[in-house]
Amino acid sequence: MSAVFDIPAEMINEESSPDTIESWDSLKHMNLVVGLEEEFDVVFSDEEIVEMLNFALIKELLSSRGNDSSTSGQVLSQEF
Amino acid sequence: MLGSNSPGTGSTSELKYSEILKLHKESGSNLNSGPYRVSVLSNITVHQIKEILELPLRLEHINADVSIGDYDNIVQDSLNCEGSNAVIIFWELCNIVDGLQHRIELFDDEQLDAILEKAKSEIDLVFKNLQQTSLVLINKFTALQFSRSNIRCNRLEELANQLNRYLTQQMPANTRLVGIEKVLSDVGVANALDMRYYYSSKALYTIEFFKAYSRYISPFFMSANGKAKKALILDCDNTLWHGVLGEDGFDNIDMSPNSKIGAIFSEIQAMALTLNKQGVLLCLCSKNNPADVAAVVSSHPDFQLRKEYITINKSNWQDKVSNIRDISETLNIGMDSFVFVDDSPFEANMIREHLPEVTVLQVPERLHEYPQMFRDNLSLFYNLSFTAEDKNKVEMYKQQAKRDSAKKGYTDIEDYLASLGLKLTVSVDDMSIVPRMSQLSQKTNQFNLTTKRYTEGEITSFIENEDSKVFSFSVADRFGDSGVTGLCIVKLCDDSRMADVDTFLMSCRVLGRNIEYAFVDYLLGTLKQSEVKTVAAQYSSTNKNEQVEDFYDKCCFVAKSDSNSTKKYSLDLVKYEPKRLTYIQVINGRSD
Repeated sequence: MSAVFDIPAEMINEESSPDTIESWDSLKHMNLVVGLEEEFDVVFSDEEIVEMLNFALIKELLSSRGNDSSTSGQVLSQEF
Repeated sequence: MLGSNSPGTGSTSELKYSEILKLHKESGSNLNSGPYRVSVLSNITVHQIKEILELPLRLEHINADVSIGDYDNIVQDSLNCEGSNAVIIFWELCNIVDGLQHRIELFDDEQLDAILEKAKSEIDLVFKNLQQTSLVLINKFTALQFSRSNIRCNRLEELANQLNRYLTQQMPANTRLVGIEKVLSDVGVANALDMRYYYSSKALYTIEFFKAYSRYISPFFMSANGKAKKALILDCDNTLWHGVLGEDGFDNIDMSPNSKIGAIFSEIQAMALTLNKQGVLLCLCSKNNPADVAAVVSSHPDFQLRKEYITINKSNWQDKVSNIRDISETLNIGMDSFVFVDDSPFEANMIREHLPEVTVLQVPERLHEYPQMFRDNLSLFYNLSFTAEDKNKVEMYKQQAKRDSAKKGYTDIEDYLASLGLKLTVSVDDMSIVPRMSQLSQKTNQFNLTTKRYTEGEITSFIENEDSKVFSFSVADRFGDSGVTGLCIVKLCDDSRMADVDTFLMSCRVLGRNIEYAFVDYLLGTLKQSEVKTVAAQYSSTNKNEQVEDFYDKCCFVAKSDSNSTKKYSLDLVKYEPKRLTYIQVINGRSD
């Protein structure tokens, strides 16, 4: 997330969302989606893409896809 | 993958998107050259190209700064590109009119015309607005995204063709067409598209597509920044020919277009020669006795890179690092202008280590991959300079026009054959091509009357024997030469009053041109002159040579006996009526 939104990883927390991160616009959202899909080898549906509106929701979605939430959360904040 | 073997611009293609973003961020600070500004004008959403295009160029020390125009504002944005060094245009048919890919089939002719005219006048405007920009890249129009599995030629394709013709006609000298359809096929259309974002954001393409696209167009930017490769330095043994000259000798190195392995090296040489014709300098750098290589360069029958094409020949026992340094000094061009090809991992690594700016290509272990690897790297030499390319184009168009006119307008096959300018060159007892003749007898199955297989030794003894003659022939037309493609062995008996056709065969490459009849005319004429009275011949059937079952019947030989597998014929030469095919010119080649 940090690479996509061009902000330090420390600034990202559970509540991070388009409301708290200024650069999180619809185009950056698209970058986030394809970045996550590539990283975790998943494909999100149209509905899921619309629902991915904060960090906690994204983690939840990824863990429901069989990714262990603690590690994916860690990778998430580090890699993105 | 396009250019996947090329270093530099190819090296980011394996990275994940997140890695590209991260490296991209780090790459910004350590460039001291002025920015190279690229504007992307588009009628769809393509913002993801920015980092994916900038990173590989920055790694090549081009301080690329890509800015993305407003969505669907190509014409307006083209007015604001004064500061850009280059402009890229994504003009997608599906958004020329919203949803054109499905609506176009339901439009009436008037609406279709209106769309075409609108697009044309917008193209005019954009070209006019961009006339001060030094480089404009515009993607060819394509319907592939929507028509790849449609068996009908549909309207979207037709529109793409019309617009591409228009682009070609109107394109100013600063503009280049980008073969986006090549990128789509390289990645695969399905992998290039993500329709989820088409419906939500009018974005079409995936990260994978943008990576391949950036790789594909990078030679334009390399050339624009003076970073195109200028010289090709080639090792010799197992790089330009198969074998080791010092050990195997002049006669045993193989680069023959007619041998299985030699053909690979023949293809490499032809591609190197093509590069030379496009202005690339060719140099040799090989550990060999200078005189040995010089002999191959000047007189090996299969060697194509003759002295006049070689700028510098460094065939000696010095190490290659010193040799390449010498070449660089002599030509006064930098190491980053060189591409070096060698089969030896030792030599390749030595250059990579000591001269890291040289692009090193190593001959693949699986030799059949070698020409494709070479081909994938041709764009390293791409040169934007207009004259060289224009010259090339002119030549291409000339040839194409010739071939087209050769195909057009002939109602029967004889007319067509007559237009080809066929030449049949016959040689008798030519010792210099014994290996090829033996190979023909071993390999030819279809047009082969007796299918007798002969070794080189056996062919040689036919040639040396007074009572037999070995005829070989090649066929040429206006478009090229087939090389040695026919063989006929005749035994003389009864004090040379009778001849027996032991072998007659032709490679399938020259079938369908009535060459066989012209040759039989020639053969029988020659035999008649040397006082032969009758000619015996036979057809031995195999499961592959059915097509020549009645060949001697067609040549008016008289059948004598007919068993299951063999038909024997004979012909009284006085009774033979030549076919005299006026459209095949027969030439006497070498004879003993």
